[in-house]
Amino acid sequence: MKRKRLISMVAVLALTMSVLSACGSKDNASSGNESTSSGDKVDITVWLTPQWKGVLNASEQGADYDSFFKKAAEKFTAQYTKYKTNVKVEVIAADQRDQLLNVNLSGGTPPDVFFESIFPMGDYVHRGALVPLDDIVDDKSKTDIAKSYWDAATFGDKVYFYPFQHNPGTLVYNADMFKAAGLEKYLGGANEIKTWTWAEYQEILDGLKNKLPKDKYPNAYPMALYGVNNQGDTWNLAYLRTFGNKFFDDKGNIILDDANGVKAASWLKKLYDGGYTNPGAESVSSNDANAMFQNQQLGISFTNPVLFTNSKVNMDKGTSPKFDMRLANIPSESGDPLAFTYVVGASVFQSKDPKKVEVAKDFVKFFSSDPELVKSSKNGIPVRSSVVDALKGENPLFAAYDADAKYMFNFTGNVPGYSQLREVLYPELQALYTGAKTPEQVVKDYQTNGNKVIEDNKKNSVIFNP
Amino acid sequence: MRMLRNNTVKENITGYLFILPQMIVFLAFLVYPILEGMRLSLYRINYQNEKFVGLDNYMTLFHDPVFFKALFNTVIFVIFIVILTVGFALFVASAVFDKNAKYVSFIRGSYYIPVMVSMVVMSMVWSFLLNPANGLISFLARDSGLGNINLLGNTKTVLPIIIFVTFATNVGQAIILYIAAMIGVPKDLFEAAEIDGANRWQVIRKILIPSVQPSTVYITIINIIAVLKIFVVIQLLTGGGPNNSSVTLMYYLYNNAFKYNQLGTASAVGVIMFIITLLLSVPQLRTMLKAK
Repeated sequence: MKRKRLISMVAVLALTMSVLSACGSKDNASSGNESTSSGDKVDITVWLTPQWKGVLNASEQGADYDSFFKKAAEKFTAQYTKYKTNVKVEVIAADQRDQLLNVNLSGGTPPDVFFESIFPMGDYVHRGALVPLDDIVDDKSKTDIAKSYWDAATFGDKVYFYPFQHNPGTLVYNADMFKAAGLEKYLGGANEIKTWTWAEYQEILDGLKNKLPKDKYPNAYPMALYGVNNQGDTWNLAYLRTFGNKFFDDKGNIILDDANGVKAASWLKKLYDGGYTNPGAESVSSNDANAMFQNQQLGISFTNPVLFTNSKVNMDKGTSPKFDMRLANIPSESGDPLAFTYVVGASVFQSKDPKKVEVAKDFVKFFSSDPELVKSSKNGIPVRSSVVDALKGENPLFAAYDADAKYMFNFTGNVPGYSQLREVLYPELQALYTGAKTPEQVVKDYQTNGNKVIEDNKKNSVIFNP
Repeated sequence: MRMLRNNTVKENITGYLFILPQMIVFLAFLVYPILEGMRLSLYRINYQNEKFVGLDNYMTLFHDPVFFKALFNTVIFVIFIVILTVGFALFVASAVFDKNAKYVSFIRGSYYIPVMVSMVVMSMVWSFLLNPANGLISFLARDSGLGNINLLGNTKTVLPIIIFVTFATNVGQAIILYIAAMIGVPKDLFEAAEIDGANRWQVIRKILIPSVQPSTVYITIINIIAVLKIFVVIQLLTGGGPNNSSVTLMYYLYNNAFKYNQLGTASAVGVIMFIITLLLSVPQLRTMLKAK
């Protein structure tokens, strides 16, 4: 009896030990991966959200979203002499960015380099998770990259992102639909970003609503409008500026609640109620709107260079109907177009390991300024004038986008808590479209709630509390 | 006395050792996160530090109308989905349990298919059907002259739609459990009732429903817990909209934790949900244990 008990006790102990040792060995393995800067070997991790496939373009053999960074890493490690390095590249889904970063920051394992649009990353600057990059920006790059792009990358008085390319947001329209509705005179050239006056834009919407042949374009609407979530909200922000509202004051507070803000909100509601937009804007996403445009159910929609290129590729492949698609600016009452852009660039996370930060910065400087590698920025619109000049012939739209630069507004205002601020806008738009609130109430509530978010986040911002 | 206690400890130590691995896993992966969540709910957390703020996070919640909206919606979902599930499952099970075995299998199978399909897939299918611009339901409504209808964009219809979608996906589980329980009810009870001249309704009310009471308690508890955590449908169908009218506690927690990075506030929501679940489950568990 006693012996039996002894055997069973030994068995239980062995089992427990094996479970515990399994946990232990797992810990060792993971900590081995994390703490990589021992001696002269420094390993860094690069995360990016999907931007473009291939090193230079998607037609390369085996082109994928990480191709460019793998190539850049290869080139970097071959010429780097300070340390022996290894660069690990990981592509993460854009909609999981914040979740992954928050979890990894809490766990003390952030990536060393992150390549993404600057606007959703500003919060990490305010939270003190990113390191300034001023020491790797040389005068040559300062002049080659226009000031407006550096402004987007600057928080307080320090640069936190190294601009690489940008994706300007514009409207896109179906030129075939315009012709069918007798709106030929409003068409721009194939390589032009057309600017319509305020009156012209209303005429176009009327034409598309009333004169579009129903047999050829059944179930089609003049313009895209959406607001189920925060996706594509920058166009909504632009629409709220159409009557000249400045949106942010000098101190970074929202000032939408004035006559112009109310006018803009009323205009959106009028378009929606008048049947000038797709139905159900309150529960349609930007993705839905984009799909409707590709299926020729919308005359005017939103786009950026990446979306525009993808739509063209889909048409050429035959996966979506082929039609004549052209670009236009977001109009405003004053006649000056409303232009904005998503500046894309790299940032370096504070890993608390000086060697890793040093290598990460060197890597960012290398791929953001190497004459060959920066050519890949042509997949969006290059931020470097030298690259634009060199590749102008290849893509005539570069010049058109360049001409818009003077109309650019900084849609984030670089305010703290921008991600949270985005979550405040679409519920208000939903209330506007469903009629739960008047335009006056909408702009008032958005301003109140938005400024509260900014105020709360200012308290924790390292930029405001250095 | 001491000797006796020592002996008892010795007697039982093998048993304790056998449950030790399970207890370690239980403590590490269930109890510790719950306690850690309670601790975090008292802190304001950012990347660089944690600051003790007492009950500030709870005060933030109690001043946020969206939190109360989420609480209200969650309660509505729990009440309606649980009543619908239990009522409909009882109805289907009591109607078919004594029929031909093949027929019973067919009914069981057909109601169980949606349970096997992932909630994500089901939500996607429903979102395609309900899409106001090009969904099938909206198209049919337009075609039959009802004009543009947007069931997910209307504050009056969005809750009933979500209740229906969740109910339709979940009810199969309850039907299976009820049919199994009803098949197990002793046949002599039905025979006695037949001799006494009881009709079908009386049989269901006086024999079937009391006999399957433990199943009812179990189904109610698991459904309450499941519906309290309702998230996927909201995330994929409405995103909490329009204007927060379909936001639930779990979705509110997710927004705070992963979108706004307010881990302290999110933990406070978690603690409140934990307390609600506990309060709802205790009386039911007690009746179940008493019955045993």
